[in-house]
Amino acid sequence: MRTFKPLPSQPAPKETVGAVNWIRENFFSSVGNSLATLAILMLLAIILPPAIDWLFLSANWQGVTQADCTKDGACWSFVKAWSKQFFYGSYPSDELWRINLCLLALVAVIIASNVLHKDWRNKIAIPLFLALPFISIVILDGRPIGLSFVSTDYWGGFSLNVLLAAAAIIIAFPLSFLWALGRRSDMPMIRSVCVILIEFFRGVPVLALFFMGSVMLPLFFPEGTNVDKLLRVWIVLTLFMSGYMAEVFRGGFQAVPKGQYEAADSLGLSFWQKTLLIILPQVIKISMPNILATFVMLFKNTTFLLIIGIFEMLSTTQTALTNSNWLGGHATEGYLFVALVFWICCFSMSMISSSIERKLDTSHKK
Amino acid sequence: MSDHRQVSSSPSFFNNPRNRSIIYQALLILGLGYFFYSIVSNTLANMEARGIKSGYDFLFTTAGFDILMSLIPYDATHTYGRTFLVGLLNTILVSTIGIILATIVGFVMGVAHFSHNLLIRKVAVIYIEIFRNIPLLLQVFFWYFAVLAALPGARQSLSLGEVIFLNVRGLYFPGLVAQTGATFVYAAIAVAITSIYLLRRWAKKRQDRTGQQYPVFSTSLAIMFGLPLMALIFTGFPFTFDIPELKGFNFRGGITVIPELMALTLALTMYTGAFIAEAVRAGIQAVPHGQTEAARSLGLKERRIMQLIIVPQAMRVIVPLLNSEYQSLVKNSTLATAIGYPDLFTVFVGTTLNQTGQAIEIVFMTMAVYFVVNMTISFVMNRFNTSVALVER
Amino acid sequence: MKRMISVIATGLALGLSFGAQAGTLEDAVKRGSVSCGVSTGLAGFSQKDENGKWSGLDVDVCRAVAAAVLGDADKVQYKPLTAKERFTALQSGEIDVLSRNTTWTHTRDTSLGLNFAGVNYYDGQGFMVSKDLGVKSALELDGAAVCIQAGTTTELNLADYFRANGITYKAITFDTSDQTRAGFESGRCDVLTSDQSQLYALRIGLKDPSAAVVLPEVISKEPLGPVVRQGDDAWFNIVRWSLMAMVEAEFLGIDSSSVDSAKADGNPSQKRLMGTEGDAGEKLGISAEWAYNIVKQVGNYSESFERNVGQGSPLKIARGLNAQWNNGGIMYSSPVR
Repeated sequence: MRTFKPLPSQPAPKETVGAVNWIRENFFSSVGNSLATLAILMLLAIILPPAIDWLFLSANWQGVTQADCTKDGACWSFVKAWSKQFFYGSYPSDELWRINLCLLALVAVIIASNVLHKDWRNKIAIPLFLALPFISIVILDGRPIGLSFVSTDYWGGFSLNVLLAAAAIIIAFPLSFLWALGRRSDMPMIRSVCVILIEFFRGVPVLALFFMGSVMLPLFFPEGTNVDKLLRVWIVLTLFMSGYMAEVFRGGFQAVPKGQYEAADSLGLSFWQKTLLIILPQVIKISMPNILATFVMLFKNTTFLLIIGIFEMLSTTQTALTNSNWLGGHATEGYLFVALVFWICCFSMSMISSSIERKLDTSHKK
Repeated sequence: MSDHRQVSSSPSFFNNPRNRSIIYQALLILGLGYFFYSIVSNTLANMEARGIKSGYDFLFTTAGFDILMSLIPYDATHTYGRTFLVGLLNTILVSTIGIILATIVGFVMGVAHFSHNLLIRKVAVIYIEIFRNIPLLLQVFFWYFAVLAALPGARQSLSLGEVIFLNVRGLYFPGLVAQTGATFVYAAIAVAITSIYLLRRWAKKRQDRTGQQYPVFSTSLAIMFGLPLMALIFTGFPFTFDIPELKGFNFRGGITVIPELMALTLALTMYTGAFIAEAVRAGIQAVPHGQTEAARSLGLKERRIMQLIIVPQAMRVIVPLLNSEYQSLVKNSTLATAIGYPDLFTVFVGTTLNQTGQAIEIVFMTMAVYFVVNMTISFVMNRFNTSVALVER
Repeated sequence: MKRMISVIATGLALGLSFGAQAGTLEDAVKRGSVSCGVSTGLAGFSQKDENGKWSGLDVDVCRAVAAAVLGDADKVQYKPLTAKERFTALQSGEIDVLSRNTTWTHTRDTSLGLNFAGVNYYDGQGFMVSKDLGVKSALELDGAAVCIQAGTTTELNLADYFRANGITYKAITFDTSDQTRAGFESGRCDVLTSDQSQLYALRIGLKDPSAAVVLPEVISKEPLGPVVRQGDDAWFNIVRWSLMAMVEAEFLGIDSSSVDSAKADGNPSQKRLMGTEGDAGEKLGISAEWAYNIVKQVGNYSESFERNVGQGSPLKIARGLNAQWNNGGIMYSSPVR
């Protein structure tokens, strides 16, 4: 009996393998493509060498005063000298552990809510998460727990961008969920109030909202009441964020299959049981990529606080530029540094967001 | 039995959903009413205590300051009310240009994601990831202080045939000054547009009826340029050019695009373009691959596949995203205030507020404007969305 | 839920503080610090350094008040404010004194419920042009592009001046001084206008400071000074006399190094200021050593001026109008007696 012996497989056609062919396939497959490739390469050749020279080769890395910047390139000494201000603002040097503790707690709670078992997560991580902004305020302020008092005027830098954005989104979570729920409600009054709130905070530029927080809000409180500027900004940011998140949640609600509502109803669950135990977890899961995208937007928008004189990272940079010992025009270095820091953060968050998206994506696309 | 049913159909007062809903809503109204009452009364008390006038009278007093760029006649003797209009028009100008350019950039970069050229694909990815993830304010600074400020001064302008000039003060190009007879040319343009519209309708109807295609695009092109050109020749070119000239410190004459406008437009275009590119990419990816294969097996050319099969389906995903991107572009145009482009925010919330101190009125008016503009965009885009939405048959 | 509410309430209570209307002096003493509104960054006047320490001519006013009231110039809470917020912050009681290069004008003094406690710098709006333009006077600037550092009165003064002289111009308004400088340097405009004190700071920041000249014209009067709320005369007096004490100390020849000897064995007017004779401090309701503390810890007006904006600083502004009255300027203090 003859056994079946397949023919040995043929090598791929010569025109499709090898470095030369790979290059032709990917860069010069047609006249148009070849031209585009050449144009891009030429542009890179023009831009890159002077940029690299300025950024690295002839840059100044040593020293912490303006006088140390003797070479033609970038003056990174500027960034070095001001790095503490850029990250922590004017917070007292001995108390920096408090900021670090808050940042660490934030990271810890985020990790905990991802890895903890479901029961623990609901009982511990979520309440902690919601209480975190208030705990952080207490720690940073210091008075209620007997630490030395640090006024909000001394908070600043990149840590302020992070903490403010985080505090805003945490409070926005329950708030926006309520708004989104209200928007779906059968009660006309509640529905219209929620629609107005959502559309107002989405339809108005965040800069106008900041101005409202800094110039108008003080007039809204009873005479003789001072509301800390940072607190006002936090309120405004939270409301702004809630408007956007409510829309994200609305999309999430619509994506939950109707059968889930009906099944919950048929089990005899009350409205809140149904919403919190059945619908909410699914909504959050579905909306996670969009929530992250919204957070990235909010986080980038915290730089606009510069316009109303809060010392977040970008306005700290501007303050540094007006210091009479640093009047040499180091704007490019400063802004590049800020851009780099923000880019790293936002880029990694968008990576996380798209990986979640891929994980959730169970459709059968090619 | 009937007794039992009666109990279950009339629950206690509070458990009746209708009563409950009325109570909830009444509570909400009461709460809101108290909230607004206390805000208004606090504000009035505070304003009185601080000697702040209220009302809109300031709109009719002389502004006394100049504005860099205005689409309507304006000088320092005009009123604060007019500064509002000037700013509003400048906002609309930058938003419109920004929306058009961002859409073009976004679509080009989104489609470039599917190019056969690896380098182009990489450029598209790098573009999206860089411009999407850096705060817009920094990008505005970048274009204005790093790129445009590096252009040469007025006397060393880059020029194109001595009629178009580019320098650190802006882009200067010749203006057209209409002479008698220009009306005919305008009329010809209007006729051209109308006839193209009618032609397209006719061609579509014909195709639906007979299956025959008509070269709409090339005919439209011919009409669009042919008719006005004929009108120009017949009337003997009723326009003169106003060519910019260097006089004293600056160029005079012609049309000037100030660098603030250029920088803001560039920043808004590149930033929003990155988001639109991402939306376009997602939209195209959402079209199942089977559609392309089916189209190929019908013998359609690659370009026609994109045009007739992929893009119309991708639009269903893209349009709702475009809507929110356009709205955020308009809102982000407020960053003009960082580089001094005289938009509504810079002029009105900036200088006018500084001088009159009428914070409440001014912030309120400004918010209302952006709100209305965004609602308009939303309305238009929703109409557009219905037209591209899947029609279930 | 209940726990949630109590947590929120605590949070709010931290942020809210009720400005007690007892009297600013009592509040400041109770708080242990003077709350002082300053600019978010203005070279020589109020600026933060790498360590977050505030310095500047305006900041020294805050420090002087703290030294007079609390005996320690470092006991100041600095509240950085934008131009739009400054009066609101003062009116609402968020700050005790506003020292943020604020021009003393009729409207502000009369209609905002505020009082100007004096002048710590006589400023005026001026112009800077690049040297190779060959312009000697602002009147030759017809058709020029003007970079403006956005202020509250800068744009108005410019419009008034150019209109009065029939000169046309294009105004380009920038938000911060660094941006204004960058705009001027890149050639976006021919002329830069701002308060003279700031022109010097802007000029230092240029790559080649000698390529720019400041024109002689000063087109406005800008007396800058600290501001307090109306209706608290005791506090008003303290701020006014803290400022006066610095000027008077310079006039009497007392500086931070000679302050001890002047206190122990100076002439009668020196001793009166230093509190060894008379009861100037008591009349203000503060320590007898109030002026001694100011001069010891902050310095006299000359020291403060030279350190922050004068020869001891990169700005190198001449005293000019801000010299003592017997020295060609108009700085004049009322006698302490």
